Amino acid sequence: MLMKATVNGTDAKTASITLHNLQKRYGSAMAVDDVSLSVSPGEFISLLGPSGSGKTTTLMMIAGFEMPDSGMVLLGDKDITPLPPHRRELGVIFQNYALFPHMTVAENVAYPLRMRRMTKAEIESRVHRILDQVHLGALASRYPHQMSGGQQQRVAIARALVFDPPVLLLDEPLGALDKKLREHLRNEIKTLHKEVGKTMIYVTHDQDEALAMSDRVAVMHEGRIRQVSAPKDIYRRPADLFVAGFVGEVNLIPVKLKSGIVHGPAGESLPSPPWQDADGDATLCVRPEHLHLEANAGSSGGIRGRISGMTFVGDATVLEFRSETGLQLLSKVLNVSDHSMEVGDPYVASWLANDATILTK
Amino acid sequence: MAGTMSSMAIKARAQSSRPWPTPWAWLLLPGTVFLVVLFVVPLTGLLLLAFGMPNWTLANFARIGDTPVYLTVMRNTLEISVTVTALAFVLSYPIAYALTTGGMVLCTFLLIGVVLPYFTSTLARTFAWIVLLGRNGVVNQFLLELGWVSQPIPLLYNRFGVILGMTHIVMPMMILPMYTVMSSIDPKLMRAARANGASPLAAFLTIFLPLSLPGLIAGILLVFIYCLGFYITPALMGGLSDVMITMAISSQILEQLNWNFGAALSVVLLAAVLSLLWIGSRFFPIEQLLGFSDGKLSSSVTRRQMGAKMLMRIGSAANALDRWLPSMRGRGVPILASFLALLLLLPVLIVAYLSFSASSYFVFPLPGYSLRNYEAFLFDTLWVRATFTSIRIALMAVAMATALGAMLAFGLSRGAMPGRGAMIALLLSPIIMPTVIVAVATYFLLARWGLQGTEFGLALGHAVHAIPYVVVIVVANLRDLNPSYERAARSLGAGPWATMRTIVAPLVLPALIVASFFAFLASFDDVVYVLFLGIGKITTLPMRMWEGIRQDISPTIAAVATLQMLFATTVIVVGTLLRRQKKT
Repeated sequence: MLMKATVNGTDAKTASITLHNLQKRYGSAMAVDDVSLSVSPGEFISLLGPSGSGKTTTLMMIAGFEMPDSGMVLLGDKDITPLPPHRRELGVIFQNYALFPHMTVAENVAYPLRMRRMTKAEIESRVHRILDQVHLGALASRYPHQMSGGQQQRVAIARALVFDPPVLLLDEPLGALDKKLREHLRNEIKTLHKEVGKTMIYVTHDQDEALAMSDRVAVMHEGRIRQVSAPKDIYRRPADLFVAGFVGEVNLIPVKLKSGIVHGPAGESLPSPPWQDADGDATLCVRPEHLHLEANAGSSGGIRGRISGMTFVGDATVLEFRSETGLQLLSKVLNVSDHSMEVGDPYVASWLANDATILTK
Repeated sequence: MAGTMSSMAIKARAQSSRPWPTPWAWLLLPGTVFLVVLFVVPLTGLLLLAFGMPNWTLANFARIGDTPVYLTVMRNTLEISVTVTALAFVLSYPIAYALTTGGMVLCTFLLIGVVLPYFTSTLARTFAWIVLLGRNGVVNQFLLELGWVSQPIPLLYNRFGVILGMTHIVMPMMILPMYTVMSSIDPKLMRAARANGASPLAAFLTIFLPLSLPGLIAGILLVFIYCLGFYITPALMGGLSDVMITMAISSQILEQLNWNFGAALSVVLLAAVLSLLWIGSRFFPIEQLLGFSDGKLSSSVTRRQMGAKMLMRIGSAANALDRWLPSMRGRGVPILASFLALLLLLPVLIVAYLSFSASSYFVFPLPGYSLRNYEAFLFDTLWVRATFTSIRIALMAVAMATALGAMLAFGLSRGAMPGRGAMIALLLSPIIMPTVIVAVATYFLLARWGLQGTEFGLALGHAVHAIPYVVVIVVANLRDLNPSYERAARSLGAGPWATMRTIVAPLVLPALIVASFFAFLASFDDVVYVLFLGIGKITTLPMRMWEGIRQDISPTIAAVATLQMLFATTVIVVGTLLRRQKKT
């Protein structure tokens, strides 16, 4: 929909980014703790985590605004750790865009080129070309505060791309916008990624954004990367309890592993995929939409209990289920047809073996 | 485009001020009447007097133009003011910049360095400089000790001394508006510039500097105006050839008793100040820099592109030089700023140190510690009587200023009425106008009522001067006072008075206390009003210091100055604590 051609010709640059054991400490607090990550050329990767998880600090170390205490940042195979931000040649899109308020759109976009001492003619033609690509050619002489949020994002994109950096860093660009606009701009960024083919590192605390846009998602917590996987695997195969709980909603059921069988709180056997760990206590994770309520226990087992509440949420109904041992579980049922469930009805909660994950940590 | 935007803004403002006065607006009445009678009327009277009322004449002005002495006075005033303003600007910028961009520890130190001198009375600071720069002063002692000079060099009672002392005293006034504007600049913009390939220097030149321009202009303007009307420091530190216009005015009124001519000189100064304010208001809403803001800095302001194009060119050139510039790893500015802030603090600290001297002369380092100067102050009936006179007058002034100022603040914050902008201008002008002019004008008025030389008359003058401080502090606080608290109280069954008593009063009380403290300081530190309104009959504490400094530089004054400083520090600390308490 936007940006039909690749930016600045057909052979736009792109490069890999590699982080080697990055560490950053503020006083006694470890902001980033031994973070390693390789991002392939052209990949879209999200750093996802709650505030204080170290995702922004990591991005700022890549951009050069924070110096790591130890570790390395490689652009391609070049070590850029000691370089100041202005010599890193990375495009950065900031939260709220950080457009210069005293400069017009055209002056904003020309800024990186002027700093690179390009000739006037070259600057003019590049600015003209990229503003046309983001459909802002007609607004070149406006000031940022005279533009809508969506237009501002396009100016920020144009400014970050006009000097053809191999990598684009995005620091929660959609953070402060309302929901409708966020979804629209999310798609715009995704389309942009497909068209320019640049490596993009996207920092967000919004799991929907990360899952919808990324090739891979790196979930961060307390300064560490807890899991790096494709969105689908993050959601379906969380590596630990934090990832399971942070991304989407999840039922966590305390279980005991004993000689190849998973035992629930009441000692019942439960459906689960095969696991490698030794016998002992574990947690079984199952997403609400995978948890079904059935009249009778099947051959693979389930948890007995009663429906304790129902909430209609539009496309689905969320059923609250209370097991006989007092465990609260959620089940999400799409409202494709009317169902006859009532609060107080006895049911057995069950799921497909492959939809569950066993976490022993 | 810009034109239509700004005209839209004007229309919006006109509409918002159109509604009829609401009941709240009645609170503006007493304060307005007070200011009209004691500020507008006297200034008008001054104007009439200068034109020889009732025998209209321009002779007084012609005399200024004809007399070479007065042309020299004008030239002195301009030269000194321009030099001081320029110097203060150059020295203030690094401090303001470091205050905006520095870390916690640095900022705290710098703020102390700016705020402590700011609230120490001008008189105490001038005294500090006299002690430092005198023939046997601390600086000369040092130079002799180091063998850099063979005999004391004249540092005081000449142009050098005046400029140094004035610069030191006006610097906080330059730093505060700069800091206000600089701290409103989003730090992400600097990062964005760096990410787009700008070196630190280039980012500063192309982004930070142009965006901080309104604050720079305002700081320069306020300081320049203050210099034009500066009296205490030039009168105490200047030589015979450094007479400034304020000194000429005071001599005409107090010594020559030539009221018409003194009024004419005042009108010249007033006209200069007003035209500067008018020019300044084209660039920036000045009331915002005195801490009076109804909302955010308007966006049109940040867009004024004074020389931004040129800065862009310089910035881009600076970028090419980046690789060859020595890198200070970003420590250059903080180090420079800390050094300058130390210089700001040093004079007052040295005086505090010297006040504990065991000797009756200022010797550095101290030959021994003692409290003899404090004893001399406490057991001298003249000093003690002066202190009580000061306290009596300050309490009267505080009572009037706090009551009227609080009502004005409520009226302005809550009441809607036409002419609100003019109202704010009237309220703030007593602190922008040169004190000498206001004092002279008030003197003429009080003389007509027979109130000259009375403590009540002096308190009236101080109240006019203190009202703006009260209004600024209370208005800032009322902005935080969410009207929904009051609505909640009403919905819960509280009547208007009960709401006032149980909700508004407790929330506003800390601000009122802080405001009255500052009103107290404004009165307690004043010399200029006493000089004119006291007609030699009233001796307040600063008046006694003033006389003491002129006659002999007695070490007792060091003790008094230190006590004043201590008092100011207490006010600041209490104010900060009260404010913090409110937030938790």
